[in-house]
Amino acid sequence: MLALVLALALGVTLGLLTNVSVPVAWLTYLGVAVLAAIDACLGGVKASLEETFDDKVFVSGFLTNTLMAAFIVFVGDRIGVRELYLAAVVAFGMRVFDNLGTVRQLLFHRWGWE
Amino acid sequence: MMGMQSRLPSKDTLVHLRDESVKRLSASEKLVERSFNEARFVASLAVGLLLVGFLLVAQMRGQATFSGSLERQSDQNLAIIIQQLTAENNVLRTEVARLQMRLLEAGQATEDRTQLLNEAARELNSVSMMAGLEPAIGPGIAVRITDPERVLLPQDFVRVIHELRGGGAEAIAVNGVRVTATSGFAGRNGRIELDGTALARDYEVIALGEQGNLAQALELPGGLKTTLATFPGVTVEITKAEELTVPAGRTGGYSAGSPVEDDQ
Repeated sequence: MLALVLALALGVTLGLLTNVSVPVAWLTYLGVAVLAAIDACLGGVKASLEETFDDKVFVSGFLTNTLMAAFIVFVGDRIGVRELYLAAVVAFGMRVFDNLGTVRQLLFHRWGWE
Repeated sequence: MMGMQSRLPSKDTLVHLRDESVKRLSASEKLVERSFNEARFVASLAVGLLLVGFLLVAQMRGQATFSGSLERQSDQNLAIIIQQLTAENNVLRTEVARLQMRLLEAGQATEDRTQLLNEAARELNSVSMMAGLEPAIGPGIAVRITDPERVLLPQDFVRVIHELRGGGAEAIAVNGVRVTATSGFAGRNGRIELDGTALARDYEVIALGEQGNLAQALELPGGLKTTLATFPGVTVEITKAEELTVPAGRTGGYSAGSPVEDDQ
């Protein structure tokens, strides 16, 4: 668990140090992609707590979800359905909250707080 | 035999031991596999979280720049910004127009002053020429009058000068003496004087001006030339020349009078 928190902190530090900034035109796409990545990570944590974790599933899910989410929003922009990003945000947002709830319950179960 | 048998464990015990060790081995193998799995899981998840952190920061930065840009402003804000810019623009435009006007005015003033100065200089020139303050050069006529009998009187010369002035003469000299506004002819001892200078008997009157008019003023039928020619011995000869010179007159200031200043 500590390693995961450290990894997240390291990523943030790296981002701060490299001083990268997303071009304005990519903001929506990357925003949805980040949401998908967060969802994938939470899913991975949940699976590990359920002891059903499979790294192949995690890596493929992480990559596919992030790229496809951005791509779908991009396509929506191109075909004049800008609101498509809303669908992606709602879907991934719901999954993030779902996973968060499950992870919380599993952690409680594991630490015997129930 | 018995002793040997009692020292060796029974077959059951051996089987039991073997089972036990196999169990332990498989348990430890499982443990190794699990920790290996755990490591893979932590590694992949850590990489994912690292990416998430990095992207989050990048996204926040982009969002911050975006929020500051015009695209993000609400319509009302944009309208206000446009209004402000327009007002500022108008003020600057007015300023530019005002400054341009001032520049033009300044240029005009300079031009006016130059023109005034030029005019004044020209006027001064012509006035000083008229007043006889400056020698003058230009086209005109030369009138040669011979009077061997000494019959001509000062008033005859006054008439000559008058006729020439009537013909538009700008500068007149008699025998090299400039005729100015205060000049006067006088007769003394049978000789004619101009401003106190006695004139020789062969007179030469030089008048600058339009040649045709000057000549005509004297040569009119029944005019001065004819009249003078009726005197005994007197001859009048008029020649036109392109470049005649008259000297400057005597300069004397006013002593009895002074110019009246115009209040304008």
